[in-house]
Amino acid sequence: MSVVGYSLEEAWVSLRRSGRSALVSIGTIAIAFVTLGGFLLVSVNVQGVLDQWLQAAEMSIYLHDTATAEDRLALEQFLRSQPMVAEVEYVSREQALEKFRADFPELRDITTGVGENPFPSAIEVRLRTENGGDAAADNLSKEVAGRPGVSDIRYDRRWLQRLVGAVTTARLAGALAAGILMLGAAFTVAAVVRLSLYARRDELEIMQLVGAPFSYIRGPFVVEGLLLGGIGATVALIVISILYSTLSRWLGSDLAGYGGIGQLRFLGITEFVMMLLGGVGVGAAAGTVASRAVR
Amino acid sequence: MIETQSLSKTYGGGEYALRDLNLKVDKGEFAFLTGPSGAGKSTLLRLLLLEESPSEGEVIVGGRNLSHLKRDEIQAYRRTVGFVFQDFKLIQTKTIFENVSFVQRVLGRPVEEQRRSTYQVLKWVGLQHRLNALPRELSGGEQQRVAIARALVNEPHLVLADEPTGNLDPDLSLEIMNLFRDMNARGTTVLVATHDRELIKWVGRRVIQLDHGEMVGGPESRL
Repeated sequence: MSVVGYSLEEAWVSLRRSGRSALVSIGTIAIAFVTLGGFLLVSVNVQGVLDQWLQAAEMSIYLHDTATAEDRLALEQFLRSQPMVAEVEYVSREQALEKFRADFPELRDITTGVGENPFPSAIEVRLRTENGGDAAADNLSKEVAGRPGVSDIRYDRRWLQRLVGAVTTARLAGALAAGILMLGAAFTVAAVVRLSLYARRDELEIMQLVGAPFSYIRGPFVVEGLLLGGIGATVALIVISILYSTLSRWLGSDLAGYGGIGQLRFLGITEFVMMLLGGVGVGAAAGTVASRAVR
Repeated sequence: MIETQSLSKTYGGGEYALRDLNLKVDKGEFAFLTGPSGAGKSTLLRLLLLEESPSEGEVIVGGRNLSHLKRDEIQAYRRTVGFVFQDFKLIQTKTIFENVSFVQRVLGRPVEEQRRSTYQVLKWVGLQHRLNALPRELSGGEQQRVAIARALVNEPHLVLADEPTGNLDPDLSLEIMNLFRDMNARGTTVLVATHDRELIKWVGRRVIQLDHGEMVGGPESRL
C-alpha cells in the first residue's frame, strides 16, 4: 500500500477516534472560512454596484426654470466640444419626474401631492476619466457653473471614489480578520493533530522502533490536518451557499434593486476552489507543523 | 555480526552506563547478555537499536559502523534487525495479523506477500488461529509470541531481545526460549538480555556478563 493510501486510512480512523476535538477543529475552520467567504461575497457585490455607479452619469448640471432653449443648446454644444466629455444627455423636468416615479414607486404619492413638478431639468454628462481625471472635471464644473441658465452642479465621482476607498479599506480589514481567524483555525488544527499524536504515542514509538519510514509515521498526521481543513472549508462553503440563497430569497430583489445591479452575484468557481484549497492548505500546514513533534 | 570498540555511554551526571566495552557476537551465534539491574544490558541494546548514540567508541553491526547514520538510514537499519521487548510493544488498536504485517506493509510489499509471510510466521509461533484477535485478548506468553513473529517477519539476520521473558512464568519463558533457539538454528544471530540465570543455564549458550557498565568474566564465559 502506498504512503498516501496508508496515511488516508490511518488519518480517517484517527479523525473518527478524536470525535469532539475534531468537530471543534472543523468548526473553527468553518467559522474562519464563512467569515472570509462572507467578505468575499459582500465584496464581489459591492464592487459590482460601485462599478455601475462609477460608470453612471458623473456630472449632473441642473438648469434654472428660466433657462432658455438657446442657453441649453449653447451649453450642450460647449460640453460636446470638451475632450473629456463622452456623452451628453438632456433630461427634461417631465422625464425627471417619470424617472423618479419609476425608480421609487412607493413614493409616487408624494409627487402627486406636491402639485407642481418639483424636479428641475438637467443635463447629465458622462466623463472620460482618462482625460485629466478629477482636476479637469473640477475645472469643467467651475466653467459650466458660470454659464447662463445653470443653477447647480452635482459632481459625484469624488464621493464615489471616497466610497471606493472606504470599501477597499473595509475589504482589507475583512481579509485581515479572516486571516487572523484562519491563523486561529490553523492553531486549533495543530492542537487536534498534537492530541492525536499524544493518543498514539505508543504506536508511534513502536513504528519508529520497527523502522517505519518517516513518511509513514508523519504522513497520517499531515493528512489528518488536511482532512480537517478540507472538511472545515467545505462546511463553510455549504453554510455560505445556504446563507446566500436564504438572503437572496428574502432580500435579494430589494437589495439588488437599490443597488441597481439587477441581481446579487454568488461566488465564482475560482473563489470556491480557492477557498477549498485554502482550507486544505491551512490544515495540511498545521498538520505538518504538528507532526514535526515526531523525531 | 556485532562488534563494539571502546564503547562508552554516560548520562547527565557523568556516570557511566557502559564503560570501554569491547565485545563481539559472531554471525549465527546465540549469546546472552546478563548482569544485575543497572549493569548496562538495556543501554547496550538501545545503542544497538540506535535509540541512543554512544558517548565514545563505535558500534558495528553487519560490518557497518552505526555512528554516522542519518535519520532515514537509521529507520532502514532498524528494518533489518528484529527486536523483542519485555513489554511486547504491540499496537493495541490493531489485530495480531495487522501488528505483524505492519512492518511489511510500510515497506510496500505486495499484499499477497504480506499475507503469506505474516501467516507463516504466526503459524511458526503457534498463533495462526488468533489472527483477528486484539493484543489485550491474548495472554502474556501469546503476546510475546506475536512480538517474536513481528521481529521475524522480515527475516532479519539479527534479533535482539530485552528481557523477553521478564513478564512471563517459567513454563512460558522456556517456550519463548525455544522459539529463540529455533530461529538461531535457522541461522539468525540472537542476542538476548536477561537476568534469569536459570533460563541461561537451561539454554546453555555463551554469556556476556556486564556489571556497572563493564564486561566481567571474559568474552567466552558460560554459566
